[in-house]
Amino acid sequence: MNPDTKHNEGRPDPDKLLALVTSDGGEDARGRLKIFFGASAGVGKTFAMLSEARRLHKDGRDVEIGIVEHHGRPETLALIEGLPVLPCKVIDHRGVQVTEFDLDAALARRPSLILVDEYAHTNAPGSRHPKRWQDVEELLDNGIDVFTTLNVQHLESLNDVVAKLTGVWVKETVPDTVFDAADEIALIDIPPDELLQRLAAGKVYVADGAHQRAADNFFKKANLGRLREIALRRAAERVDAQNDQLNAAHGQSEVATGDKILVLVGADSLSSRLIRHTKRMADRSRAPWFALYLQTDRHETLSPKARLRVEHNLRLAEKLGGRVVRLNAGAAAATILDYAGRNGFTRLVLGHSRQPWWRRATGQQGLSQKLIAQAAGLEITTLNADAVADPTVEREPPRWSALVARPRDHLMAVLAVAVCTLMGLPFRHLIDPDSFIMLYMTGVVIVAARFGIGPAVLASVLSVATFNWFYIEPYYSFTFDNISYAVTFAVMLATSLIVGSLTARLSLHVRLARQGETETRLLYDLSRHLSAARGVEAMATVAARCLEPAFDVEVRLWSGGRQVTGPAEDDPRELGVLHWVMHNHQIAGRHTDTLPSASGLYLPLTAEAADLGVLSLTPRDRVRQFTSAEQLVFETVASLIAGAFQRARQGADAEASRVESENEKLRNVLLASLSHDLKTPLTVMGGAVSSLLKMRKKLPREAVDELTALWGQLTRLQKFVSNLLRMAAITSGQLKLNFEPYLIQEIAGAAIQRIEAQKGARQIRTVTAGQLPMVTIDGALIEQVLINLLENAIAHTTADGIITLNFETDADRVRVRISDDGPGLKPGTEDQVFDKFHTDNDLKSDRGNSGTGLGLAICKGIVEAHGGLIYAKNNPTGGASFIFTLPVANTIGRSA
Amino acid sequence: MKILIIEDEGDIRRYLRATLTAQDYAVLEAATAKEGVQNLTLNQPDLVLLDLGLPDQDGQDFIRAVREWSQVPIIVLSAREQEADKIEALESGADDYLTKPFAPRELLARIKVALRHAARDAGPRMEIFERNGLRLDLSARRVWLDGEDVHLTPIEYRLLTALIQHPGKVLTHAQLLNAVWGRRSTEQNHYLRIHTQHLREKLKDDPLSPRFILTEPGIGYRFAD
Repeated sequence: MNPDTKHNEGRPDPDKLLALVTSDGGEDARGRLKIFFGASAGVGKTFAMLSEARRLHKDGRDVEIGIVEHHGRPETLALIEGLPVLPCKVIDHRGVQVTEFDLDAALARRPSLILVDEYAHTNAPGSRHPKRWQDVEELLDNGIDVFTTLNVQHLESLNDVVAKLTGVWVKETVPDTVFDAADEIALIDIPPDELLQRLAAGKVYVADGAHQRAADNFFKKANLGRLREIALRRAAERVDAQNDQLNAAHGQSEVATGDKILVLVGADSLSSRLIRHTKRMADRSRAPWFALYLQTDRHETLSPKARLRVEHNLRLAEKLGGRVVRLNAGAAAATILDYAGRNGFTRLVLGHSRQPWWRRATGQQGLSQKLIAQAAGLEITTLNADAVADPTVEREPPRWSALVARPRDHLMAVLAVAVCTLMGLPFRHLIDPDSFIMLYMTGVVIVAARFGIGPAVLASVLSVATFNWFYIEPYYSFTFDNISYAVTFAVMLATSLIVGSLTARLSLHVRLARQGETETRLLYDLSRHLSAARGVEAMATVAARCLEPAFDVEVRLWSGGRQVTGPAEDDPRELGVLHWVMHNHQIAGRHTDTLPSASGLYLPLTAEAADLGVLSLTPRDRVRQFTSAEQLVFETVASLIAGAFQRARQGADAEASRVESENEKLRNVLLASLSHDLKTPLTVMGGAVSSLLKMRKKLPREAVDELTALWGQLTRLQKFVSNLLRMAAITSGQLKLNFEPYLIQEIAGAAIQRIEAQKGARQIRTVTAGQLPMVTIDGALIEQVLINLLENAIAHTTADGIITLNFETDADRVRVRISDDGPGLKPGTEDQVFDKFHTDNDLKSDRGNSGTGLGLAICKGIVEAHGGLIYAKNNPTGGASFIFTLPVANTIGRSA
Repeated sequence: MKILIIEDEGDIRRYLRATLTAQDYAVLEAATAKEGVQNLTLNQPDLVLLDLGLPDQDGQDFIRAVREWSQVPIIVLSAREQEADKIEALESGADDYLTKPFAPRELLARIKVALRHAARDAGPRMEIFERNGLRLDLSARRVWLDGEDVHLTPIEYRLLTALIQHPGKVLTHAQLLNAVWGRRSTEQNHYLRIHTQHLREKLKDDPLSPRFILTEPGIGYRFAD
């Protein structure tokens, strides 16, 4: 044994434990589901659910009753009393008012916990989901906890067992997977005697009318005992499964039996029983199970309905937790055994049907017999086909109705025989009658090729009859003189039947192959055109052009929040489906599980987990159903389109970011060269003037005055250029903030030092209210804000003015106020001072920075880029205040 | 004292030359990075004034190349007000920077500081540092403020010694983090900020009117010279 594995045994696996904890409610996003589970109606599930809800409601939980069937019983009504109840939705279904659980209202209301009775309920047509358990899934997905109730006979895998026991079939079932995925199962159990007493006392709701007899049958003591046993066992199995998970997480090996079960599935009604049986077997031995469908030659000849049934059966297997395998095979038994042997299956489940007499007579074995004869080391379970008829599976209509169903084809067969006869008639005296057999044969082959097996058989029989009537002497009678013609007729009939059926099958194959080829060609064309198209619109148009003629549908595509192709859709019902698909990224609409009454089929376009839009297909012929094969093609088409959209989007993103970075580079270069070209001469001029001023003792007085004025203007120009460049950087959106945590006083200290030379005799006072938290800012830019505001204050105060800086905290912001004791702002201009190039001409000295009006606009740009606010106002005691706020750094605590 | 000016604008060179010769500095001139390197090797200047926008080589690359073989003080002249440029230049090895347009007075002050650093670096290792009422005994690892003992944590002490090694010189955040916490610890700007505040408190240094530690917003800190 590998020492590593030995070491690991018995040690908790942290990943599995974590997964368990997460599935245990650590997950915030999904709500928790609790099912009150009982053996039959009347055990008190609703009562228990309401009692618990009341308790939670009293503890302050936000509980809402979504829907509870009280059937007018006073005990139930008393429990509902005082709990908030969500109003039901009234649906008008063919003139009948049906009340249903209002899913949208529940999602809008978003209670913490909602009570939804009768988990297995089937919603009225026109609801969003056909089944209530799907409503519950959506509630859970939206983070709402749900309480619900369920009877054992509504569990998919137990449905047939209960039906066999009680003789009552229920169509309303809940998949076992959702039952097993529930966070909590509360088994509500009372002894059968007590239940019967309650029933007698009228405390159990029993539907009236036709169901009364069924109910009488249902509530027999023996039945109730059996049902109770089934419910207890099912609940116990679930507890076992949970224990296994826990054990596995704690490193204790699962108590697996090492079984692996394979069930053979076909188009027959037995298959659904086989699947349910296998599911129960698998649960008991905790074995993985697979459903196998063999795609033999016969698959090609199956009617579309039978194929759909195969798909239904396979879907049922998936719903019950099995895995689906499809194999293409010629020899069934050998393929199955080979597959089972290679994949380590230990058990095989299959149906057994009595062989027709002619097969038994010729000693031919059925598949089950062959398997039993050949399987070595495989446990084989067979179920007899004739045990119980499942009324939920529609029976195949008898063959003859197929004949009636296509009268035209059979008429054509008769016509073909008539034509053959007429063609031969002029020559019947010249040529040996046997030669005409070939003429009829040709007719049969043509009929078989064009119209299939039924008309071919008809043509064969008619051919023999008309051959006898018209060509064999005596003419115009079915008698014949030469007795050897009896053999001729027999051989002719046999040959034409064989040739006819072979031809019919061959042409069917050809047709199917062509159909497959059409599909492949369609997909190929679509992907070729999509890859040639540029941009989402072009791709959408291409897709619509490919799909519309091929399936005779209207194609609509939505992407990026708008419709990109197809006729505009304004039917609110259809838009509702569209909205749901966009939100839930699942297929919906026509013939699906969600909003099946819509006229279009809506497929989400997703690629690499990105949501790219929705494809809708509406058949032009409103009654046409999409086959499951077509649905498969649509899903492939949707993924092709999604892939193309993804490429388009990435292409557009790349292009946009390339253009953006080019632009940014250009702007940077422009700003840099502008800085250089403007500042270099200013530096030189400033240097020259200051050199000259150093020699002022040697210069005439007028020259010194001029130079001093020039120096002043130069300084002003320098400041203006600096501000202009800064403003350009801010307004071009190129301001890259270099965020760092700072104490605002540090920045203010640096700013005060920077304007030291300008302030002259003015006093700068600072007031700090308490301890200030750090702010996350671009230090250099905020320093610029403070410098600009201080310069502004200096410009508007007298030489002995007082400028005060106030720092304080206000909730999650730090507020800085710079007040001066100057003349203040002209009333009504408080907001305008931050406009670009705003100067207050009424005041002696302007409120802009050195007359350019850019300083305050720069402050505004910088503060707003930090997510802060800046505003100005006059002080009640005179002078102006400029105030700005900055968001506090959230990760750092308060600091002195 | 010889100062090398590497600047492609002739007018700026002339202005710098006029300012510097008035203060009795000997001036060498180069218009390109290539000429600059030749001048550096041949004439061994005491200080370099470097324009970042040279025609033949990026100024930052020039600093890094020179730093491989020379410790000559470099003061960067730049027209751009981008803090990132200044930080890069300082971390490449420049000693200081000036943003155009600058006043002659400011230029001369920076030159003086840089030359003094160079002289001190060349001299014997400093044992006692004393300035503005702050006194450090670097061998005994003790600190006094206005004659009173100051107790610093090891981190605060390292931070202070890093700053006083070069009074007046800007140290970038990364350089300080590197000096205090060692290499590869450049992502904790707020630790630096917090320890700086603590150090300031112990040195009774008000950030609003600092006496010792000056903030260079967006760049780093500098010890008051």
